[in-house]
Amino acid sequence: MNPSLKFLLAVLIALEISFTNTWTVNLGLAVIGLLVILSSRPSLKRLVLLFFVPLIPAVALAVAILLQSNAGIHFALVLFTRIYAYVFVGSAATLTTSVADLVMSLEQNAHIPSKFAYGFLGAFNLLPKIVSEVNVIRAAGNMRGQALHIWSPQLYFKAILASLDWSENLAEAMTSHGFSEDAPRTYFKQIRIRWWDWLIVIGSLALLQVALFGLHLQ
Amino acid sequence: MATISVNHLSFSYPTEDGQKPLTLADISATFPNGGFSLLTGPSGSGKSTLMKIISGLYPKFGGLITAGEVRLNDTKISDIPETDRGQLVAMMFQNPNQQFAMDTVERELIFALENQCVAPADMMARVDRALDYVEISQLRHRQLNSLSGGEKQKVALAVIIAMQADTILLDEPFASVDPVARQLLLAKLSRLQHEEHKTIIISDHDLEDYDAYIDHLFVLNDTGDSLVLLNDKAAQQKMATFKRQDTSNQQLLLPKKTDEPIISANNLKLTAGTSTLLTQPKIDFFQHHITLLTGANGTGKSTLLLAISKLHQYNGSLLLNQKEIAKIRPNRLYQQVALVFQDADQQFLNVTVSEELALSLKNSQAPAYFKDRIPKFLEKLQLTQLQDQVVYTLSGGQKKKLQILEMLIMATPVLLFDEPFTGLDFSSLQAVMTIMKQVAKDCQQTMIIVSHQLFGLDALVDYHVTLENKQLQYVEGLA
Repeated sequence: MNPSLKFLLAVLIALEISFTNTWTVNLGLAVIGLLVILSSRPSLKRLVLLFFVPLIPAVALAVAILLQSNAGIHFALVLFTRIYAYVFVGSAATLTTSVADLVMSLEQNAHIPSKFAYGFLGAFNLLPKIVSEVNVIRAAGNMRGQALHIWSPQLYFKAILASLDWSENLAEAMTSHGFSEDAPRTYFKQIRIRWWDWLIVIGSLALLQVALFGLHLQ
Repeated sequence: MATISVNHLSFSYPTEDGQKPLTLADISATFPNGGFSLLTGPSGSGKSTLMKIISGLYPKFGGLITAGEVRLNDTKISDIPETDRGQLVAMMFQNPNQQFAMDTVERELIFALENQCVAPADMMARVDRALDYVEISQLRHRQLNSLSGGEKQKVALAVIIAMQADTILLDEPFASVDPVARQLLLAKLSRLQHEEHKTIIISDHDLEDYDAYIDHLFVLNDTGDSLVLLNDKAAQQKMATFKRQDTSNQQLLLPKKTDEPIISANNLKLTAGTSTLLTQPKIDFFQHHITLLTGANGTGKSTLLLAISKLHQYNGSLLLNQKEIAKIRPNRLYQQVALVFQDADQQFLNVTVSEELALSLKNSQAPAYFKDRIPKFLEKLQLTQLQDQVVYTLSGGQKKKLQILEMLIMATPVLLFDEPFTGLDFSSLQAVMTIMKQVAKDCQQTMIIVSHQLFGLDALVDYHVTLENKQLQYVEGLA
C-alpha cells in the first residue's frame, strides 16, 4: 500500500476512536493491527515489547478511572483498549514501511517540500551516530578525569554541538551533491498512488463508520 | 572545460563582537583549464576556505567575502544557479564522514543524479560506470557508516564522476587514506584529467607522491595574504623537499623476551557489521614502548584501538594488566588508557584553548611535570597566540596539535593515537613527534600509534605491528 495513504489512514482511525466510546471496535482495530504486524514477521522481542510497553499507560489509565472517577468500568475498558488500538494500528503502519519509502512517498505523493523530506531522512540516518556519539563523549570526559553523568549539562552541550556540526555538514554535503531547495528533481523510484490504495482507505473508513454506528444503535 | 580565476579575494569569518579578521586577504590566481593543480600551504593558512569559496559553499554556509570575487569562465560563482553548479564544480571534503546524506552507497549516487534531473532510465548506467571507474562495485549496497575513511573517499569520488562535474575540487582528500588507496585515487584523477579533460584542484599540505601527476603548484602563505603559482623550477625544489623519505630499508627491532606485556589479546575477534576484521590467536603490546600499527584502509586498526578503549565490542579476550577490558569499569579503565581520537572535535570538552589546557592540567597524573613545560610546548606547536580562541574555530592542523598536547598532559599510562598526524604540516609534524617522544620517556608511557604517514616515525617508534589478512604481526621493516 502507498506509504503516505497508509499513514493518513492510521491517523484518521486514531482520530476517530479518540472521540468514540466503543471498546469492541477498539479491540477489533487492535486485532487487525496485530494481524498486519504479524504479517511483517517481527522479531519475538519486538512483539513482546509491543504488548508490554502499552500495558503501563493502559493499566494506569484504567485504574485511575476506576478509583478516581465515577465513569465506570465501561469507560475504563474503552481507555484500556483505545491505547492498544493506537499502538497496534500505528505500529502496523510503521513496521511495514521503510523510512526511505515513506520519505519518498511524502515527497512525491504528498508533495511536502523536498528539503523537509531529505532533511528528515538525513536526520534519521544520523540516529545511530548520535547514540554512539554520546558514548564517545562520556568516554572522552572520563579520559580527561571528568565524569559526565546522564544529567551533566556538558554532555548535552557536546551532543548538541555535534548535532549542529553534523546538520551543517549534511547541508553542505547535500548542496555539493547538487541538491537545491525547491529545484525540480527526477525520481529513480517512482512511488504511485493506485486505485486500490484509495479503495483500501475509503473502504476501511466506511467499515469503521458502519461498525461504530451499528454498535451504537444497538 | 573551465578556467577558475580568483581576483583580489578577501574573506572573513566575522567574530561575535563584530570584527572581521581576514582569513584570506587580497589573493589572486588563475587555475588553468584542464590542468591538475595542487594548492599547498601550512595548516591554518585558509586552503579549505578557498576551496569552499570556489565550490560555492561559502559564503552560503559561513563567512563573508569582503572584497573581490571568484569567476568560473567569466561568470561569478555566486551568479551560477545552484542547480547548474553540480555539473560545473564538485567537491570532495576533508572529513570523509561528513559528505553523504543517504544511508547506502547506491542511494547516495542516485540521490546526486536525481538532483541533476537525470532521467531515471539512465541512472543505473551512470552509477555502474562511476563505481566501476573507482573499482568499488563491491561496495554498492554497503551502509556508508560501515565504510572506512579511504573507502568513503572512493565513494565520494564515484559521486563526483557520476555527476560528470567539469571541475573537481579535493580538500585534503587523503588525510585518512592509506598510501595504496591514495595512489589509486591519484591515478584515477589523472585519467579523468587526460581522458575527459577535467580540471582538478587538490589542496594538501603534504606534497608526497604528487610530482608525477600535477601540472601547477600554487602556494598559499601562512597568513593567507599571498597565493602564488610557482614556476617549474621553484615547484621542483619545493616538491623535492617532500620526497617520500625512503622508509623501506629502515629497520626496527622486534620485541625482546624481557619486555613486559601491558595489553594482551587471546583469540581476539573483531567485527564491523557483518564482516570480520580481525581473528588473532595471540599478541602482546609492551609496556613503556611506542608501537606503530599500520595496515590498509578498512582493515580494522581504528576498531582495535576502540576495542582497547571499550568503545567497540569484541569477542575473545583482551587484557590490560591481566584484567579483562570489558569487565573494567569505565572510570577505572580511562585512568589507565586514553585514546586520541581520529576526529579532534570529539576530544574537546570546553570552549577555549586555555580552558581545555586547564582541564587537562587539573586532572593530570603528572601535573608538576607539565606545569612548567606547557608554555614551551605551546610555543613549539605555535599555539601560544591562540589561547583565547574557541577550539572549534581552529584549523584542522591546530585542532590536532591541541588535542595531542592536552592528551599528553593527562599522562595516562597507556595512550592510544588514531591517525594523530593528519592535517599537520612538516614543521608541526616534527614538533609534535619531538614532544610525544619526550613525554613518553619522561612519564614512562606506553603508546600505540595508528598512522598512515610514516615520515620520520623511525625516530619515534620502537616496534612496528602490521595488520594484514586479519592478523596482527610484529615486523622489522618500517615500510
